[in-house]
Amino acid sequence: MSGKDRIDIFPSRMAQTIMKARLKGAQTGRNLLKKKSDALSMRFRQILRKIIETKTKMGEVMREAAFSLAEAKFTAGDFSTTVIQNVNKAQVKVRAKKDNVAGVTLPVFEHYQEGGDSYELTGLARGGEQLSRLKRNYARAVELLVELASLQTSFVTLDEAIKITNRRVNAIEHVTHFTHHPIYSVPLWPCLCPPM
Amino acid sequence: MAACQELSFNVDHGYLEGLVRGMKAGILTQADYHNLAQCDTLEDMKLHLQSTDYGKLLSSSEEDLTVSLVDSKLRENLVTEFSCLRSNALPPLSTFLDYITYGYMIDNVVMLITGALKQRDVAELLPRCHPLGGFDQMAAVGIARTPTELYSAILVDTPLAPFFQDAVSDSNLDEMEAEILRNKLYKAYLESFHSFCKNMGGATGEIMCPVLEFEADRRAFIITVNSFGTELSGADRSSLYPACGKLYPDGLRLLALAEDHEQVKAVADCYTDYKAIFEDPEPGSEFKSFEDRFFEQEVKLNILAFLQQFHFGVFYSYIKLKEQESRNIVWIAECVTQRQKSKIHNYIPIIQ
Repeated sequence: MSGKDRIDIFPSRMAQTIMKARLKGAQTGRNLLKKKSDALSMRFRQILRKIIETKTKMGEVMREAAFSLAEAKFTAGDFSTTVIQNVNKAQVKVRAKKDNVAGVTLPVFEHYQEGGDSYELTGLARGGEQLSRLKRNYARAVELLVELASLQTSFVTLDEAIKITNRRVNAIEHVTHFTHHPIYSVPLWPCLCPPM
Repeated sequence: MAACQELSFNVDHGYLEGLVRGMKAGILTQADYHNLAQCDTLEDMKLHLQSTDYGKLLSSSEEDLTVSLVDSKLRENLVTEFSCLRSNALPPLSTFLDYITYGYMIDNVVMLITGALKQRDVAELLPRCHPLGGFDQMAAVGIARTPTELYSAILVDTPLAPFFQDAVSDSNLDEMEAEILRNKLYKAYLESFHSFCKNMGGATGEIMCPVLEFEADRRAFIITVNSFGTELSGADRSSLYPACGKLYPDGLRLLALAEDHEQVKAVADCYTDYKAIFEDPEPGSEFKSFEDRFFEQEVKLNILAFLQQFHFGVFYSYIKLKEQESRNIVWIAECVTQRQKSKIHNYIPIIQ
């Protein structure tokens, strides 16, 4: 035990009891924090795995969507102006919800449909089938994007929370790691002083 | 009369027919498409296109080579060729060529009308209009605020005015959906074009009438199939069917009542021409959507136009074939850039 790490204390039995209680408190706190850190890390690894999965799927889906755009343009001609002209309300919207993991609130985004398809009749005389396939492919791409966004925000939030928790665990461990030596060996004055 | 027509045709139109036939000889062949399909980048495609009639078309530009650049250059090329033909044409060929442009004009007008409805700046819509469908009053479109105003002030002076009769009399122009308006105008246009060709008679009538009838029937079939599952009812869509095709009147009546793909197929089975298009493909052969098969049939009919001489059908067929060729080239370019070589042969071959 180095000199500067010592707590100055009057060596009475009550001080020892108080110290033991404080130590117990610190150890319990450290265990709870460690459990929290473990839970967060587990969730973190799960999210990381899902992110990798979703990103690979995203690559495929975007590629297919871009190709179906080329197919639609081949049959239906140039419909870009029609699409841009008829934009009014959003059909797919995103809601933000909160999820709680070991006390950390994570934002979760979910998408929902609202309103009808304002492009129902586009491509009526040419390329309708290709256009509906195109709409489906891009709708799937948007769904995946929302999921990926949700996962990535959770990733960032969890990362922060894990770092903070681990710092706290380390801080407590730094203070209490010498205490696997029992503190029964402190010489106690009352046995030396005769009772008053 | 017919003999006189053939004798005097070359006086007015011989030069242009010769020009069109020369241009038609430059349409890409199957071998050209094979070469293009084997390219790995757009640069290779540019190289291959240089050895065809396109020549220095793509090399002269300074911008980066992208698919949209290829698309716009091909369209520019077609517009130049068409303007050259149109500026040298005498009536009645000039009227015939004008009729060809009305199709593009309808698309432009529908776009401008929707733009007026949404109060969009006309200056940003004008560059997006198809150049073949330009009309003099286009720049003045900005002053109108509603479609009805647009119609009564400007459109009534354009060649499209008679096609609006049908659309305007039935219902309020402001409330009509853009697609419904587009299809009603196109129906009126096809019927008008058909009667024009019929009145011309002779070889032109012989060649053009089947082509236009096919176009009318094709639109009827496609509109029917695409309207399943939408709010367009049978009665509504029967007002969009052009009446100048083989399906008129019985087939069209049956199509208006059809509720699913099977019933449409049953209607098609009554006509030998359309039976093959809706037939299920033999097992083992490549799947082609029925729109692709309609494209193929259209190309066949257009090629037939070149077998006869001294008629106007060659001009219409040339424009349509050139358009199909542009679509094919852009398709191959997209497959090459997106590295999706599996479907690269899904273009419509024109000359075997």
